[in-house]
Amino acid sequence: MAERTFVLPDLGEGLTEAQLVRWRVEPGARVEVNAPLCEVETAKAVVVIPSPWAGTVRTVHGRPGESIPVGAALVTIAAADEAGAQPEGEAVLVGYGSRTPGPGEVRRRPRSSASPSASTEEGVRAAPFVRQLARELGVDLTAVAGSGPGGRITRADVEAAARPDDRPGPPPQAPEADHDGDQRISVVGIRKAIARQMMRSVSTIPQFTEFAVFDATALMAARDAARHKGRPITPLPYFILAAVEAVRRHPLLNSSWDESRDEIVVKKSVHVGIAVNTPNGLLVPVLRDADQLSLEAIAERSSRLIEGARGGSLSPRDMSGSTITVTNVGASGPIETGTPIVNPPECCVIGFGAIRLRPMVVDSQVMARQSAWISISVDHRIVDGGLATEFLTALVGELEAIRA
Amino acid sequence: MSAVTLGKAITQGLRDALAADAKVLVFGEDVGRLGGVFRITDGLQRDFGEDRVFDTPLAESAIIGIAVGLALRGFRAVPEIQFDGFIYPAFEQIVSHVAKYENRSGLPLPITIRVPFGGNIGAIEHHSESPEAYFAHTAGLKVVAPARPSDAYGLLRTAIAGDDPVIFFEPKARYYLKEEMDLPVPPLPLGRARVAREGTAVTVVAYGPMVETALRAAEAAAEEGTSVEVIDLRSLAPLDVETLVTSVRKTHRAVVVHEAPVFCGFGAEVAARLSHDAFDSLEAPVIRLGGLNVPYPPSRFEKLYLPDADRILQAVDESVAYG
Amino acid sequence: MAEKPLAADGLSPQQLLDLYRKMVIIRRADQEALNLQRQGELGLWGQFLGQEATQVGATVAMESTDWIVPSYREFGMAMCRGIDPGEMLGYFRGLTHGPWDPRRYRFLPFTISVATQVPHAVGFAMGCRLDGSREVVLCVFGDGATSEGDWHEAMNFAGVFQAPVVFLCQNNQWAISVPLRRQTAGSIAERAQGYGFAGVRIDGNDVLAVFSAVRSAADRARRGEGPSLIEAVTYRMGAHTSADDPTRYRLDSDLAPWSSRDPIETYAAWLRSQALLDEGQADSIDAEAEGMAEAMRGKLRRLPLPSPAASLFDRVYHDPPASFLKEREEFEATLEPVE
Repeated sequence: MAERTFVLPDLGEGLTEAQLVRWRVEPGARVEVNAPLCEVETAKAVVVIPSPWAGTVRTVHGRPGESIPVGAALVTIAAADEAGAQPEGEAVLVGYGSRTPGPGEVRRRPRSSASPSASTEEGVRAAPFVRQLARELGVDLTAVAGSGPGGRITRADVEAAARPDDRPGPPPQAPEADHDGDQRISVVGIRKAIARQMMRSVSTIPQFTEFAVFDATALMAARDAARHKGRPITPLPYFILAAVEAVRRHPLLNSSWDESRDEIVVKKSVHVGIAVNTPNGLLVPVLRDADQLSLEAIAERSSRLIEGARGGSLSPRDMSGSTITVTNVGASGPIETGTPIVNPPECCVIGFGAIRLRPMVVDSQVMARQSAWISISVDHRIVDGGLATEFLTALVGELEAIRA
Repeated sequence: MSAVTLGKAITQGLRDALAADAKVLVFGEDVGRLGGVFRITDGLQRDFGEDRVFDTPLAESAIIGIAVGLALRGFRAVPEIQFDGFIYPAFEQIVSHVAKYENRSGLPLPITIRVPFGGNIGAIEHHSESPEAYFAHTAGLKVVAPARPSDAYGLLRTAIAGDDPVIFFEPKARYYLKEEMDLPVPPLPLGRARVAREGTAVTVVAYGPMVETALRAAEAAAEEGTSVEVIDLRSLAPLDVETLVTSVRKTHRAVVVHEAPVFCGFGAEVAARLSHDAFDSLEAPVIRLGGLNVPYPPSRFEKLYLPDADRILQAVDESVAYG
Repeated sequence: MAEKPLAADGLSPQQLLDLYRKMVIIRRADQEALNLQRQGELGLWGQFLGQEATQVGATVAMESTDWIVPSYREFGMAMCRGIDPGEMLGYFRGLTHGPWDPRRYRFLPFTISVATQVPHAVGFAMGCRLDGSREVVLCVFGDGATSEGDWHEAMNFAGVFQAPVVFLCQNNQWAISVPLRRQTAGSIAERAQGYGFAGVRIDGNDVLAVFSAVRSAADRARRGEGPSLIEAVTYRMGAHTSADDPTRYRLDSDLAPWSSRDPIETYAAWLRSQALLDEGQADSIDAEAEGMAEAMRGKLRRLPLPSPAASLFDRVYHDPPASFLKEREEFEATLEPVE
């Protein structure tokens, strides 16, 4: 004898529940098909529910006055014979409103990772936006290999292929024949991303560089004092602190050029990108809210970021969102300075050279002083020479006024 | 070969259909004795008798309702709705029954509902409507709109001989359009658009009365040095997407034009299909032209309401100028 | 109003008993269908309880080659035409819009939108006439239908074209909650005059009266004398459908006068008075009805679920366009079995 549970059907086109008025049977009662089991009241009517099966009532579910949801158990009956029982494979009873397919039926395939639509289009496959970008950047789409599904050309493909507008690029040539001994290095991953970013910078930002030398005596004295107190510190945190201070006075250097709206966005926060040479290439982890941090905090966090960058352990958040960038130019060897490249979409990159003894004129005397070069490259759309000079002057001033 | 008007091509199509199959019946208001308010059924009652070509009472819903009954009985019903604006009383019979009877019963329903449609004839209210989108949107119906006499004949013969219901929209403003041809021409399968004029710069998609207008616009464009390709859809449901996509792959630009209001008009389906199926080929967004989103105006203003060759050219310019 | 037709009309005892048998069986089916709905096997059920005499009398009066165009409450008529009730219930189980072959049974599909079938019936009958055949169409509808524009248009067409139609109004006094007096201020039967043909009002609970009236009207139509309207006055004893609560618009006491005119009980009493029905026969018929109900229940619950792609796509066009077939394929590709 199979025990089956009769659940409450939708008695009237979309009802969700019914209130049990009274039972007409009790556990142990023998019932025939269609014998009245109970009375329920719905939003529309009082309805007598007949038994779907013949058999013995095992359990009645619910008390008079209780509200029973559609689909909830009403009565459990030990069916008298298989003929009265639910046929095999029969799905959920139909009177329960609109039903979802049950076992043995079919349903729509759930959303999954979409396989790229196999388009039968011939010729260049690129979306309108990508074509527009190619036009802007002067890219010949027929010469671009698409990295999208089915060989579609993506925006990244176009950006990667872009040539700078103000440099007459070589006409597209047939690939050079391999010469003996030539080495071909595959460009993928980070290297490719760096290349893209560089291209973007030089092809979209008109930039110029200004140079200055600052007297690092005060900075070095402060460093010594810190080291004696058991807190060794590199020059970098001082550079960052000075940069932040200079930005406070000239906030336009902490901005971004918004091409699409013809606006300069002056950033409120100061997130300093720190260019780091890693075995994988140049990475720029980001010191967030540098203007809220003390020197010690800057030192501690920046050194963690640098370590993390070298170790490849930083999160995407650590790697994005910078509003101004600092970089080493000539950290070692005979290199004095260089022309750093602005990190788009920023306005200014500050390059600090190595601190070493150099001849400087102090009180009309030539002396050997600890000093270093600073070079700033700026977006000429936002910053003109005058402002660049002021900013650089402020930077020098901050660095030379460091107290231990 | 002689010059045959679109109206006469339809008359001949009805005549040949009546002659070819004794089960074909033509009926509607004033189609028998009068020969129809546009004379499209002229002479048919005289030649085929009152049992086969007959006038009905003034009752659009019943005209279509009895067409259902006759079709179920085994006849090929060709009812006429006298004017586009009067199809609405029959709307229920069409969408609830004509469109669904096969689904309900498995039985074929050979009904061809003829409807003169469109404006530009200086008419009073309700005589210039373009209701084709309501029916193209209804599953179970086939919807066609010929633009030239040979297609009117070919599509009509196919529609009447077919076992599915067809709404046959006749561009009343083009009843007098002539074409050099010898009738009969072969039946034209539904679902095939045609390239009415080849071009390379922009595809203009049109149907019914707008095809002529599009062709004139294309001629003017050619004189200005722009090569416009004109597609005559001929069939709205089923829609010949392949021809459209092939064209846009070549031209990369599309303008679709109809008399019906732009908002939710048939052009929206064409534009959406092209955006999806020819996305990578498009160099400009698909431009839709149509009537203003207002009730069809008093005839004095219909020229301001309806698209014309000039507006088509403007849209072509806009498309080309997109870059 | 015409006189009530004579009873018995040349029917044999077997035929007279069979009218009773049919009424009992279809009432039992109606009750079982209601039970099945309460048990969740059907989404909806519209009882025809109390209208058995009209349904049986009319169907039996037509010839087997005649056609019946129903509304949506003529389940009993369909059964009398031989359509399997278990299969028919697939309609109310959400499996199909058309559970039987209309041509095989000469019984068109149920029409839910009120009165829209009446023009279909007239057109069909016009076609019969054009064919020169003897076939007649029985067009069935309720009192509510007589308010619809389609009904009037169709009646008018029928008069103009002398269509061989028997218009049968099952006036069960209710259109959901709207009683007859609010449905029309005039007489249903008398409207026929306005359309150029005869109309009668009869007792719809008297199976012999129904049989007689329908038979006469069909004969007239068959002779080429055009359409007739029969208003069979009966009562909808049950709710409009299982989703309806009649206690909101009528009192149980309203039903009382009609209970005493129950079509089956009054006919059984008459049969007994004519010694045409004994206990044995009555019991045997009851048993047959029980067997039918059990078979109907079993068949319904074993109705297979049709393939979704077939159900959705196969009966849309007779000649499906290639693009449509492609859509069917694409749809099928999105389906997977539920574990």
